[in-house]
Amino acid sequence: MFKKTLITCILVMFSLGTISAAFASEGPNGNKRKGKYTYRKVVKACFERGEVDSATPKISPADKKQAEWKAIFEEKKFDEFGCAQDWAALNEKDVLDIYSYLYNFAADSPTPATCK
Amino acid sequence: MGKMKFNRRKQIFSVFIVMIFAIFLLPGAFASKQVSGNKEALGIKLAKQAVRANKRWTTTDHAKIEILKQDFKSGDEITQACLSCHTDASMQFQETIHWTWKVPSEKEGIMNGKAGHAINNFCISGNNMEDKGCLSCHAGWNGTKGEVNCLACHGSEKFNYKEAFEDLKAFAGDDDPDTIEITKEIQAEINNAVSKITMPQRENCGECHFKGGGGDGVKHGDLDTSMAQPNKNLDVHMAAEGANFSCTRCHTTVRHNIAGRLYTRPAAAERKSLIDDDMASKITCESCHSNMPHKQASKMNDHTDKVACQSCHIPEFARVNPTKMWWDWTKAGDLKDGKPYVVKGEFNKPTYKSIKGEFRWEKNVKPEYFWYNGSFSNIGIKDEIDPAAIVEVSHPLGDKDDPDSRIAPFKIHRGKQPYDKIYKRMVAPLLSGPNGYWTSFDMNDAIIRGNKTLNVDYSGEFDYVETTYAFPITHMVAPEEKALDCNACHIRENSRLANITGIYLPGRDRSTFIDSIGLMAVLGAFAGVMLHGFGRFFTRNGKKE
Repeated sequence: MFKKTLITCILVMFSLGTISAAFASEGPNGNKRKGKYTYRKVVKACFERGEVDSATPKISPADKKQAEWKAIFEEKKFDEFGCAQDWAALNEKDVLDIYSYLYNFAADSPTPATCK
Repeated sequence: MGKMKFNRRKQIFSVFIVMIFAIFLLPGAFASKQVSGNKEALGIKLAKQAVRANKRWTTTDHAKIEILKQDFKSGDEITQACLSCHTDASMQFQETIHWTWKVPSEKEGIMNGKAGHAINNFCISGNNMEDKGCLSCHAGWNGTKGEVNCLACHGSEKFNYKEAFEDLKAFAGDDDPDTIEITKEIQAEINNAVSKITMPQRENCGECHFKGGGGDGVKHGDLDTSMAQPNKNLDVHMAAEGANFSCTRCHTTVRHNIAGRLYTRPAAAERKSLIDDDMASKITCESCHSNMPHKQASKMNDHTDKVACQSCHIPEFARVNPTKMWWDWTKAGDLKDGKPYVVKGEFNKPTYKSIKGEFRWEKNVKPEYFWYNGSFSNIGIKDEIDPAAIVEVSHPLGDKDDPDSRIAPFKIHRGKQPYDKIYKRMVAPLLSGPNGYWTSFDMNDAIIRGNKTLNVDYSGEFDYVETTYAFPITHMVAPEEKALDCNACHIRENSRLANITGIYLPGRDRSTFIDSIGLMAVLGAFAGVMLHGFGRFFTRNGKKE
């Protein structure tokens, strides 16, 4: 009886943990570290063509809150970034990585980006 | 015959008058010619001469050094590469205050410096370097552990090495072609940054000194990011169209010890100009401009033994970016929905932060003036205070009778901060980290933890006391035409030197007794002339009718 109760408790705990983890990770699940470099690469390529005046991104993850990044990437409205040609050339995975980077270091994230 | 005699006498009298005029006027005419001919003041000429040889050159192109082309995996590896040629550099640097953040005090068992027993009224203490928040400005790769980060001062490329090495580590072993490409790019960026070696530039020093106290312009008032590329109106020495000095032009360095440290001992042991000693430090104005900086016969030269050059030549500080003037820790800890928050005010600067309290920022601030001999008195964590009074945590030392003292300008940063109610001493709360105040919002607990880092007892009871902290104002030297004029100080009302007492300052001060004697003398002379004139008039100049 004790063994059954213990197993049930463990199962309940495990289920609760999994469910809460699933709810907690509402954000994108791409590779945020790779996303950072892909994002920089996009801006750099764009700068080399003379479309923007800086080789480093002017929009930092911490310039927006997570909900704002979510809206931008769900609607795929990348006009604000400029460099339309480069954004159009990105595949789904690259876009997801960039989204993950911007979302995870947003102003209201646990670790907002500190430098632009 | 009589008439001829009279004419002769008249001629002699006229010649005599002309000679008198000539004697008095000619030297004056020559003197004024000399002054107007000497268009450049001696102090300017000497200064130009002192910096004439500013043509730095090098025999080393670090981009060609093989050891710097390796695939670095950590900052320590970069330093090891530097030390393979500059063998003693790290050893020298680790003995300086830039590394130790400590300097022995004259008081027994007391260490000054932000890692020592010193207290300030910003983030209060470095907690013996255990406050990790402060360590972002320590010139090591990993806080106090590991190697010196040579590139903090000698790297001309602003590059986030910490992030790059973390990412390299995270990408290691990933055989995804994109990741391999990214890894190669990161490595190339590291090598590129490592190859760009320089003498310390403004950006290197400014990375910490422009942002001291936790942000741009918080601490100094005369040092903020506007000084990275100042125009001539902001700083005649550092402006590109001015003298275009880097910091090390004046903050001369010996064995990595950089001149300019100020605690209980002055930055310069003696006031020497380069004329007296061409190896003298250039840390004081007199070093290059001498103690006769103005044009010959200028009254301003008579001031240099009592008034610091900065007093007139830095009329205001924080002339581009604002500086923090007030920090009230009593207000810290307020939360909204259980979370810390920030309120921004004028200048788009925070006026409230839950983690730090309330602030006030100001621009174009008139300095406050004190006698200053180059040293400060400091209240440390072991000193007893009088909580009923405003505690001068750091205050300039000097006196009108001290020949080394000058009237100098200061930023006085005021605030309220915690102290030990029972022991009557300042305290050093631990702020950052998982147990610091910025996480716990428990000041008592933060003080217990912070004082422990310095081995200083805490009674367990605290309150807040008002404090001041003085910073010498010595940068942001304005162009000549914007220097203060005489009336800024020599004026009855609102003199800049109103609080410099115990001296007689013409124009500002008056003595009723001396003024009465003067007035009596003038009136007496006038009355005498009138009496004499009337006497002669009424006696018809002694002639008989």
